[in-house]
Amino acid sequence: MKSILATLALTTALTIPGLAMARPVTLTTTLNNYGGDGAYLALYVTDASGAYVGSLWMAGGKSKYYEHLSDWYRATGGDTAQVNGITGASVGAGRTLEITLDLADALFDAGYTLHIDAAVEDMRDSPNEVAVPLTTDGAGTPVTGRRYVASFAYDM
Amino acid sequence: MKKTLTLLVASTALTAAIGVPAWSAMQAPSDILRPIAALFDDASQAMPLVLASDDDDDDRWRDGSRRGHDDDDDDDDDDDDDDDDDCRGGARNSAPAGTVAPPQNGLFGNGAPPQVQVN
Repeated sequence: MKSILATLALTTALTIPGLAMARPVTLTTTLNNYGGDGAYLALYVTDASGAYVGSLWMAGGKSKYYEHLSDWYRATGGDTAQVNGITGASVGAGRTLEITLDLADALFDAGYTLHIDAAVEDMRDSPNEVAVPLTTDGAGTPVTGRRYVASFAYDM
Repeated sequence: MKKTLTLLVASTALTAAIGVPAWSAMQAPSDILRPIAALFDDASQAMPLVLASDDDDDDRWRDGSRRGHDDDDDDDDDDDDDDDDDCRGGARNSAPAGTVAPPQNGLFGNGAPPQVQVN
């Protein structure tokens, strides 16, 4: 009996930190009715010094257009491995993209910033369309983009 | 000797009978030989070179980014570099979500895979 309790305590102690290290976060991006084709969006994170850390999502499947997501492209060199497994379709004008990701807790309140670069066929590219600090207080607060994004918010 | 001569004459006559009309048809087809000449004419015509394009929307992306610009919305000046065909035509596309695990960039936990919805 005593050994079972000890085992339970040990497994609980090992499991809880693992659960606490990440949480589901929903990123909601609503586009303006800009009157063009589907937008390519790159969602990525930089650290407190502005250095690229990694990508969270790529909306748009053709890598030949990624260079129009110019800040992301400059940071990554267009490396598609950065967005393998986190790539979806481009997002139409007026549509809302809702992504739920299991994100590390360490991303929040640690000086990280989430960026969105946007590009639309035959329209002007929009690097750094959205830049929002990742904080627990900022969760649920919508921000407006510069050109194509009507609102962006993250919810935990 | 006589037999050899006969054979030579016969083969020459046969060659002339077959070869001369054909050669004439190639050089100057007459109406009579037109069906034969047509064979050569058709064969001698060069096949037209047809260029097939891939995505016809490749060259319609603009390179209008202006980092550091105040980016007011009335700056619809004509960037005439529409034909930016130097897009990464041969680059491999990234793997769609759900087909492979997200990248190990330290941003993701090991929990649920990404879920996406467009409304």
